[in-house]
Amino acid sequence: MLRTMILLVAVLAFAGGFMPAVAADTAATAPGRRVHVILVDKMAYGPMPTGVRAGDIIEWANHDILEHSATARDGRFDVDLKPGASAHITATAGTLAFFCKFHPTMTGSVVVK
Amino acid sequence: MNKSLLALALTLGLGSLAGVHAATPAPAINDAQIAHIAYTAGVIDVTAAKQALQKSHSADVRAFAEEMARDHAAVNDQALALAKKLGVTPADNATSQSLAKGAAAEQKKLAALSGAAYDKAYADNEVAFHKAVLTALDGTLIPSTQNAELKSLLETGSKLFHSHEMHAEHLAQSLK
Ligand SMILES: [Cu+2]
Repeated sequence: MLRTMILLVAVLAFAGGFMPAVAADTAATAPGRRVHVILVDKMAYGPMPTGVRAGDIIEWANHDILEHSATARDGRFDVDLKPGASAHITATAGTLAFFCKFHPTMTGSVVVK
Repeated sequence: MNKSLLALALTLGLGSLAGVHAATPAPAINDAQIAHIAYTAGVIDVTAAKQALQKSHSADVRAFAEEMARDHAAVNDQALALAKKLGVTPADNATSQSLAKGAAAEQKKLAALSGAAYDKAYADNEVAFHKAVLTALDGTLIPSTQNAELKSLLETGSKLFHSHEMHAEHLAQSLK
């Protein structure tokens, strides 16, 4: 019993200590919320995720050598993606149409239920 | 500039035709030369962008120029790293020289302009330049490239030039 308590306290302290650094990712993996990653490389967005629900996380991972963005057509979001960087938003219901503000030939759209 | 770019496109076009008719379809141009031409095109656009950042007071023109400088520098860095990895030394050639010569003349012309006249001339030239390089990239350089990694980088470069050309056209129209 005592051992279990000590272990529990240790785990909580550990988790507490690490929480702030990974707060964003912890939120993303909360029960019921799924993370959908859109790969960005070679001047294009990769395949669009399907089955996205409101509250899920949509993440763009820029593997390209160029800086890009994911900019909503309706102005709902505008995330900058430096080479090698990732950024995410929380999905809201509707069709999220986006483009790269630097490279207008790059477009994508995700349906969120 | 437009004239020498046209000459470039024609030269490259004829080069690829000659390749088709040859008994052994050896490319008229090798990877070391292709790398040099692509790199030269990047340097030309970065130089033009730096001039724009010195001369223009338009926020739109400056944002465009910053994008050109950033993107072409990134692709050229990658091209140099790839050349080093493959042990290829980019080889100067007549096409690179004609490109550089045309660009130098254009830069001189642009240097004499200022204000709205400069902005307009820069944007128009960026449209023409990206179009001409695209003709060369898609029509000759990429099909002639032997190394898969260089080909892939040039394909990304082609998509980049398409996007820049579109952006340049929007910019040129907004300055009318
Ligand atoms: Cu982009």
